[in-house]
Amino acid sequence: MRRPSLRLPYNWRSRSFWIESAEAYLYLLPALAILGVFTFYPFFSAFRLSLFRWSVVHPPGTYVGLANYSRIFADKWFWNAVGNTFYYVGVSVPVTLFLALLVANLLNKPLRFRAFARTSFFLAYITPLVAVAMVWSWMYNWHFGLFNYILGLFGGSLVNWLMDPKLSMLTVIILSVWRFVGYQAIILLAGLQNIDKMYYDAAKVDGATGMRTWWHVTLPLLTPQIFFVFIISMIGSFKVFTEVYVLFTGTPGPLRSAETLVFYILRKGRFDGTQLGIAAAASVFLFAVIFGFTIVQLLVTQRKVHYQ
Amino acid sequence: MLRKALLIGLAGAMLVGLVAVAQEPVTIQFWHSMSSGHQPHLVALVDQFMAEYPYITVELTYQGGYGDTEDKVNASVVAGTPPTIVQLYENVITPLVEVLYPIGPHMTAAERSDILTGLVANNTFDGVLVSVPWNKSIMVLYYRSDLIDTPPTTWEEFAQMAADLTVDLDGDGVIDQYGTGLRPYNPEMYLNYVVQNGGSILNDDWTEVTIGEEEGLEAMQYAESLVPYSFISSGYLSDALGAGQVAMFVDTSAGYYYNNKAAVENGYTMDVARVPFGPVNRRSAIQGTNLVVFDMGQTQAQKDAAVLLARFLIRPENTVYWSTRGGYLPVVKSAYSDPAWLDYLADHPEAVVMSEAMVDGFAQILHPNYGQMRSVLGSAFESVLLAAATAEEAVADLVIELEALLEY
Repeated sequence: MRRPSLRLPYNWRSRSFWIESAEAYLYLLPALAILGVFTFYPFFSAFRLSLFRWSVVHPPGTYVGLANYSRIFADKWFWNAVGNTFYYVGVSVPVTLFLALLVANLLNKPLRFRAFARTSFFLAYITPLVAVAMVWSWMYNWHFGLFNYILGLFGGSLVNWLMDPKLSMLTVIILSVWRFVGYQAIILLAGLQNIDKMYYDAAKVDGATGMRTWWHVTLPLLTPQIFFVFIISMIGSFKVFTEVYVLFTGTPGPLRSAETLVFYILRKGRFDGTQLGIAAAASVFLFAVIFGFTIVQLLVTQRKVHYQ
Repeated sequence: MLRKALLIGLAGAMLVGLVAVAQEPVTIQFWHSMSSGHQPHLVALVDQFMAEYPYITVELTYQGGYGDTEDKVNASVVAGTPPTIVQLYENVITPLVEVLYPIGPHMTAAERSDILTGLVANNTFDGVLVSVPWNKSIMVLYYRSDLIDTPPTTWEEFAQMAADLTVDLDGDGVIDQYGTGLRPYNPEMYLNYVVQNGGSILNDDWTEVTIGEEEGLEAMQYAESLVPYSFISSGYLSDALGAGQVAMFVDTSAGYYYNNKAAVENGYTMDVARVPFGPVNRRSAIQGTNLVVFDMGQTQAQKDAAVLLARFLIRPENTVYWSTRGGYLPVVKSAYSDPAWLDYLADHPEAVVMSEAMVDGFAQILHPNYGQMRSVLGSAFESVLLAAATAEEAVADLVIELEALLEY
């Protein structure tokens, strides 16, 4: 890959270069202003806050250096939340991506109700998450839920989905996989349809069929979309919150078994308003984790991504 | 003589005029968390207040649940624009005291001394009555009177009855009816046992965690002994009561309407009793919020108007109105002899029990980190209820977490 050059363009001495550049920045200004106010300022503000012991009456309170960070690192519930979040990301991201690939390939075939199927898969994504999670909380219900009804039909014993600490994170993962498969499949489908037919023709001439074509032609040429979906879903998964909040009616699940990092941040930040600095430290940690993972992904995957 | 009368008349007219000048129109904001069930009664009271003080306009705004209101109040304080008057839990009030306008000093001595004794301390900061209690409820024992003739009066009787009433009704090996019910996220259930055993969370000057002492441990062990006979639910127990899954449980009096409805709709009868005696007493937790007035950019007229509203809302006749309609309990002593309250008691024996419990109920501690403390109390209680830890392990962990919150 060509590395971007830091040298000024050849025409930098000309007046037109500066006018054009100024114009470009002018067009970017509205977006930059919005990002500045709603993204960059809150980020730096959270970082600053993480160095203070918050006081609601005299914000931001007393400067404590990195004490808030040592607080969270010494808190077993923080590590519980980190563990739960990694478990969620580690399972839901690959499983969703694998299923989305499968669905995208199916939707790419000349099926009879293809348009209907595409819409159905996407419907899960566009339905408001709170409504979806509420319906799922009923499906998971121990006494009246659909899942236990189906288990009962096959003679299985009832599963206490929402009260068993071993299952709570799994219930969140199942819901989120169901929700995001359709969205990811549509993006991958667009990638599939964008692959030039000539590659398949060439593969055919070389005698490749079925899985070999898919493995050696489709998959490499789909890597830009896979890469995009992978990064986006990983970032989103680290920030999982609403599913937990609604499924477990505002609690972090039995024995805090579904408490994710964002949930931990919320619980630290509210109640008394005295621990906001600690909540901010946890959110800076979350940022660092996501940032680190994204960089690693970028470095690793840029060698594997093939552009047509 | 006529001249004298004229002079007196003129002076009187001037005085009225002065009062009229003093009573320029004033608007105050009242943020509350009273949703649809309670809201009409609050609106009626505030309308009555505005009729009595026509120069005051109260902008009543529902801000969502208690947590939402707390978040918004904290955000508005940071922004420097809090409302004039708001309802808050004690632990939220503590860090805000220096930007509050104390209500107590602007009340009459008679009004101050009329507030229920148990509710004065948790509204008093550095010896000043800063806030006033408003919507208060107390934990009581709910029991199925079609199953239980005489409710238990001691811990031992309660445990025995809970064991006896835990039964597999259809013989399929699965328990259908539990003797009692416990809610992991309601640490007040555990705190009741702590206080009834003579214990406390912290010492009086908040320098030490005391819940790890014998009293707190025994309280957790008692809760642990009830687990096999308890229906464990993260939500309220009214559904389980209606479904016949629980025979008796301790919970807030504010849930009376829902519990009774669930029982009656399913053909059961339900009654209310005081919580059983522990080794030391039978005190139970008082819950609910208090009214505070802000002094952060508000005009003197606004603060005065807000204080008038707070005083109005806890007048005997109004606290009775609020209690009889809203399911709470009067917050001033004289209300308990108010004819309207006595009439209400004649038709509502459960309110007699609740009133008695209120007299020696215990209130939330005022520590500024109590919200976080309550959260770890809930986690410890939950770990015992879900058998993830023994009482000893849970209390030992709890002490470590409380100590961390105590120093920071």
